[in-house]
Amino acid sequence: MNNLNTNAALTPEQEKDINEDIRWAKINEDVLHSMESPRGAYWLSIIVCLALLSLAVIAEIHQYLYGLGEANLNWPHMWGLYIATFIFWIGMSHSGTLLSAILHIIHADWRKPIYRFAEAMTTFTLLTAMLFPVIHLGRVWNMYWVLPYFSDRGIWPNFRSPLLWDAFAISTYLTSSALFLFMGSIPDLAIVRDSARGWRKKLYAVLALGWRGDDRQWRNFRVAYLVLACFLIPLAVSVHSIVASDFAMSIMPGWHITSFPPYFVAGALYSGCAGIITLFVLLRYFFRFEAYMTIPILEKTCKLTFAIGMVWTYLTFIEFASVWYGHNAVDKELLLSKFSGPYSIWFWQMLFCGSVLPFMLAVERFRRSIPIMFVVSILLNYGMWLERWMIVAPTLSQGYEPFAFHVIFPSWVQWFIVAGSFGWFGLLFLIFVKVIPSVSMYEVKEMIYHRRHLAHKDLSTVMHSRSASAGGNAAAAADPRRTPGTPGLEGA
Amino acid sequence: MNLEMKRREFLKVMGWTGAGLAVAACDRPSFITSREGRNHVVSYLEPEEFAIPGVGVTYASTCQQCPSACGVNARVREGRVLKLEGNLNSPLNKGKLCAVGQASLQNHYNPDRITKPRVRRDGRLVEIGWDDALALLREKIGPDAGLNGKRFAWMTDTISGHQAVLVDALMESLGSNNHYVYEPINSAVWRAVCRDMLGDENPRLGIEKARVVLSFGADFLSTWGGAVSGSARYAEFRNAPRGVLIAAESKMTQTGANADLWVPVRPGSEGVLALGIANVLASSHGRDLSALPASVRAQIDAHDAAKVAGITGTSEEHIKRIAELLHERSPSLVLAGASAEGHEHGYDSVAAAMTLNLILGNVGRTIESSAGFPFPQLRARSGNGRSVIDFAQALEEKRFDVVFFKGVNPAFTAPAALRLNELLAGGPFKVALTQFEDETTLLADLVLPLYSSLEDWGTHVPSIQPERNFISIQQPVMEPLYPETRGFGDLVLSLLHMRGDKDYAGYEDYYAYLQHAFVALPADVKNSVTKGVGGDAAFWSAVMQQGVLEFNTATPAALVAKPVAFEVQAAAAEGNGYFLLPSANPNLWDGRHANLPWIQELPDTISKAVWDSWAEIHPKTAAKLGDVKTGDVLRIASEHGTLEVRAFVYRGMHPDAIAIPVGQGHTAYGRYAKGRGVNPYAILATAQDRKTGEPAHHMTRVNASVIRRADVTWNNGSGMDRLVVQGGSSTQVGRKLVVTVSADQFERTEGGRA
Amino acid sequence: MSLQNIIENWSSYRKGAEQGGHHNYEHLWGMVIDLNKCTGCGACVTACYAENNLAVVGHEKYSRNLGMNWLRIERYWDEPDLGEESVAEYQHHGASFLPMHCQHCSSATCEPVCPVAATYHTPDGLNAQVYNRCVGSRYCSNNCPYRLRYFNFYSYYEESWPAPLHMQLNPDLTVRDKGVMEKCTFCVQRIRTAKDTARRERRKVRDGEFTTACAQTCPTSAMTFGDLLTLHTPGGGVGETEAASLWKKHQVELGKSRQQKQNPELRGYRVFEGLNTDPRVLFLERVREV
Repeated sequence: MNNLNTNAALTPEQEKDINEDIRWAKINEDVLHSMESPRGAYWLSIIVCLALLSLAVIAEIHQYLYGLGEANLNWPHMWGLYIATFIFWIGMSHSGTLLSAILHIIHADWRKPIYRFAEAMTTFTLLTAMLFPVIHLGRVWNMYWVLPYFSDRGIWPNFRSPLLWDAFAISTYLTSSALFLFMGSIPDLAIVRDSARGWRKKLYAVLALGWRGDDRQWRNFRVAYLVLACFLIPLAVSVHSIVASDFAMSIMPGWHITSFPPYFVAGALYSGCAGIITLFVLLRYFFRFEAYMTIPILEKTCKLTFAIGMVWTYLTFIEFASVWYGHNAVDKELLLSKFSGPYSIWFWQMLFCGSVLPFMLAVERFRRSIPIMFVVSILLNYGMWLERWMIVAPTLSQGYEPFAFHVIFPSWVQWFIVAGSFGWFGLLFLIFVKVIPSVSMYEVKEMIYHRRHLAHKDLSTVMHSRSASAGGNAAAAADPRRTPGTPGLEGA
Repeated sequence: MNLEMKRREFLKVMGWTGAGLAVAACDRPSFITSREGRNHVVSYLEPEEFAIPGVGVTYASTCQQCPSACGVNARVREGRVLKLEGNLNSPLNKGKLCAVGQASLQNHYNPDRITKPRVRRDGRLVEIGWDDALALLREKIGPDAGLNGKRFAWMTDTISGHQAVLVDALMESLGSNNHYVYEPINSAVWRAVCRDMLGDENPRLGIEKARVVLSFGADFLSTWGGAVSGSARYAEFRNAPRGVLIAAESKMTQTGANADLWVPVRPGSEGVLALGIANVLASSHGRDLSALPASVRAQIDAHDAAKVAGITGTSEEHIKRIAELLHERSPSLVLAGASAEGHEHGYDSVAAAMTLNLILGNVGRTIESSAGFPFPQLRARSGNGRSVIDFAQALEEKRFDVVFFKGVNPAFTAPAALRLNELLAGGPFKVALTQFEDETTLLADLVLPLYSSLEDWGTHVPSIQPERNFISIQQPVMEPLYPETRGFGDLVLSLLHMRGDKDYAGYEDYYAYLQHAFVALPADVKNSVTKGVGGDAAFWSAVMQQGVLEFNTATPAALVAKPVAFEVQAAAAEGNGYFLLPSANPNLWDGRHANLPWIQELPDTISKAVWDSWAEIHPKTAAKLGDVKTGDVLRIASEHGTLEVRAFVYRGMHPDAIAIPVGQGHTAYGRYAKGRGVNPYAILATAQDRKTGEPAHHMTRVNASVIRRADVTWNNGSGMDRLVVQGGSSTQVGRKLVVTVSADQFERTEGGRA
Repeated sequence: MSLQNIIENWSSYRKGAEQGGHHNYEHLWGMVIDLNKCTGCGACVTACYAENNLAVVGHEKYSRNLGMNWLRIERYWDEPDLGEESVAEYQHHGASFLPMHCQHCSSATCEPVCPVAATYHTPDGLNAQVYNRCVGSRYCSNNCPYRLRYFNFYSYYEESWPAPLHMQLNPDLTVRDKGVMEKCTFCVQRIRTAKDTARRERRKVRDGEFTTACAQTCPTSAMTFGDLLTLHTPGGGVGETEAASLWKKHQVELGKSRQQKQNPELRGYRVFEGLNTDPRVLFLERVREV
């Protein structure tokens, strides 16, 4: 790792979000370099991901052939890790929206070097999450019955079912976020197009949709991007609220909780942010993005994560409190059994990882240590994954009907499929980093441009350029230190 | 109607068309004679009226799963029997049926049935044809075999009706009287006491008339005296004014589980408890004991409640309460079953219980004489447990050359200490008339496959007749599944033919014999059914439709109670280990139903365990053995052997007892039964009741120790390291699932009380 | 359910059970189970296996809670209503048995959550499960507070009915394959047959003309099955069935989550009534001489 010495004080240069003196050509060079011929580590990662995925494929084939009982699902544990992991991945998807859409409209420019991969994460986690409702169905081959297609028998799905809402919400969210990812990448794809050769050139020529970087294109691009961002924010919130409805709309203790929608959204943002930290560290290390993914940006992300973590903690305790003063004996019983019953080992781990561990993020020393943050971010996500399991499983093990009290441990089939989902996500992400620039070149340039003027106290220019950029004027057009000899940059 | 029809033709018609002469109460009643039906197989394209595809037809028959002989209606569709239900015409079960009765279907369709005769050659059973099998039999018991009839023995289960007549005829023809009627689960001691004290072996027990029933281990809701009839009477008993059920047992039976008051009794001290209750009845409630023999009076005097509480483990308060209830609410009824009977002094304990009936004046009120069944030759030969001991004794003395087995599995149910397997292995020529490859069949030299109870003819006379005397008719409800199996009656009849018996030469098969027997009934019997309309044919078809033939018999004479002297003892003192109680399993019975998957998967009433054996122990015992939890594996050792079985801990046991239900632990008997659980019969001692000679199955002493702990917290899927029970919590955890109200409240709202 | 149906009947959907549901019921099949008489023998369970082609799953699968018993008899040892006495050294009042099969709730919680509407309320008032439509999301079972829905986690047809056991299978209903939810249907095939017969004979279905397999076999006649419709339309149509009169006698009304009995001592109650599922099975309280 780059910065193994956690105690090292940062130089004033390193205190900045980004070094304003990076040449634009260098930016292109660094980012494009990350898309070039993969190194050994990349292939190794691919192999690991494929191995994980093949585990899942084996498990799924086994489950398909023999039945869901092989997963150790049973009466009353009708749902298990599949649904828990489904919620987990849906949760992860919220990070991209947070960074690219929410922070975009509130002008937090430090998001710029890191939002692209976060957005990619959104799309790919959704693609991963969508596998689970399918895998978990008893009759997978009939899954399209959930969709409201026109049938000559006039049979419709049940519009009252939260599962149906899920199907709608997730597919809408996936479409929008994929569109958002693609649209935001168009200027960068044009840069790639300009430097690529051979078949890649043709590919990126298509992908760049004829981007020339002229004034009108920038203006339209800005407006469209903003509109989509505004559209995506309520969508993201609603998606996880609807996933929460799967539980909140039910009658079961531990599920029928009014605060679930905000709780799920907070948890989603939380795990998404933690996921960003993990990928931040990995990308920074593997692609040597130290110049863009700087410690101050990591710190800002960590602070954000910490804040969300505290919101989540608050909502968790609110949930406990509402159960407590709700005076429903069955609900209380379940809550107590979470603390002391068969699931207590995991429940305490979840509370530790979700509510205690984030305090590491509040300490500057830890925040600035990349290895520590790497580990912590993974543990945070572990806690959030546990949280989803602790929502699904204990209620099933101990509901209203005492005769149905039962605890069963998931079998290898479930674990393999859960592991495979990480492989699947990793694979998609690995492909992504070689296909689409994982750092937004044009926005980094924008950021540097603004910062530089800010540093020179050239406020009027900054203000002017900000409004100008909002109005569609590209940073490139105003750059005083434009490097000759890099014609490819014209596109940015 | 053509009464001369041949049975084969009859069955052909039955099989082809799914109906026949004997059409019972059906969805669409219809009749066809053999002549009409013989010439064509019915096509579904042109279905006969009675064989409409998709419409079920119902036949009346008789259940053969236990000795009760309940009437059943079999639903048949497209030639297949699909479902059994109780026959409303049967005065015994009145349209109801128990779980094992329902499961007769799986007996019939069992994939492990024997389909061809087998003979032992070079130590192995090989399939042969019926001709060869009968030739072999002729060689052994034919007229030219030179068999001394005394060296022939037959062991059957409870047998009645015309099958019993035929068996008797065959025995007579052979000059043998060695008919062993063996029922491992029986009430032989009770019957003996009834015979001695009431002069009636099978008195009618008016459970429904009683206001209090006190049961010393008499599980009348499942294995004692007929589950379905017992349950029906119980239901009536529970109607307002509601009767109080008290159970005093060392292991909670199904009846005990439904008791208002269940009290534990130290095994073997039921008689002492009865004396204690008698003592309180006399001393506190002024009941008159003068009719009792002096020795009995002395014993009652000697057993005051405090002393009895010390011996039996039943609290003094409960003894007094029981006496109070018995005294206040009259009439009452005191019953005694397996746990009281199964000791060397079992007869005395049961007699003590019966004496309570005398003291309370129940005889003639809730205990009534069974009306004399008009045809004594058809009466049930009720099985007992002693016969297997006698049989083993005879084998030991090498008194038999040929033995027949039918409906019994002594190689499984006899205590291993009797060494029956050994004695049989080297002993006589053994013929097993059976459907399944059970332990006894595996020892046989000749195996003759029988029809299932749903393919065979028969008549059955329940040993305990309800209010009206009746014969229950068993008729085939579908074509035999396997062409090379035979009916029991047919087989005995063909043996009689082989013996050259003149009396039975005229009957070509059992059906012909039965029909003749019915037609030959007195005219008043026939007229009571046909109301004088129609002839013999109408009578026969009406009987077949109803499934039962009732008789109007004169009101029986009142019972005369005559107290007998007995000497009640408590079982041996503590310190000799736990009592092993081989408890009768309501569903598996003596193990004969262990090959029925529905029954294996039906959770036990008490433990809710499936597919396995378990050992019931009291939490105190569990604590003594080292914090035993349900599912831990116990090693239970008597001087005759060792069993390893999982514990089931609950508060329905006496702490000195360990109960293991019988019925599992088969080493053969098909895929569903084999290698499952343990067989407590295997480690029983061979003690006998001193008066009746019945096996004292409840006095084997065992030691127990934990050998393995169960993994109970998590079910990890391979989760077999636990006792597999249905259900999670055994308490209601504060939810309102089963609400219990007091009998007072019940009486206020639904009964006579204001 | 169609979109049009939802739009047209929105207000009646919203009102739900309190107004007797949104159906114009033809029948309203219900049951009464008298716990004073139930002995826990299990005859009903086996009758259900025989009638409804229930799979036998075997020891190993049963150990994983995969049993397919639509009707189960719950056995409890405690007696919360008797207080202290129920924790004595011995089980002095025996056991508490509770036969539980689908409660056919009028406002069933399983129905709204099924994404494909495979479970719905029939005009007979049955909570029906359409096997063909089920995709196996298992949401219904998760949302059933009684846990009375059973899922085919495996295909059982081969191991459960080896020849010739399969000849016993009831041709009036299917054998379910893996991936399908199933549950008690109140023997819908018998209802069907009775209704068809009645229609053929141009009459109404008579009370007692048929009953469910469990109620039919119950040795103590603890179960009473019948049409409860007369509770809703007094004097209308079919007269009062035995089941309906028991409901009336015990002053339990459908559509209420809390009963206001004139005589609170009457024994009728419904399990988890407070959840407002409006179950159609009335239990009569267990009685003990204490």
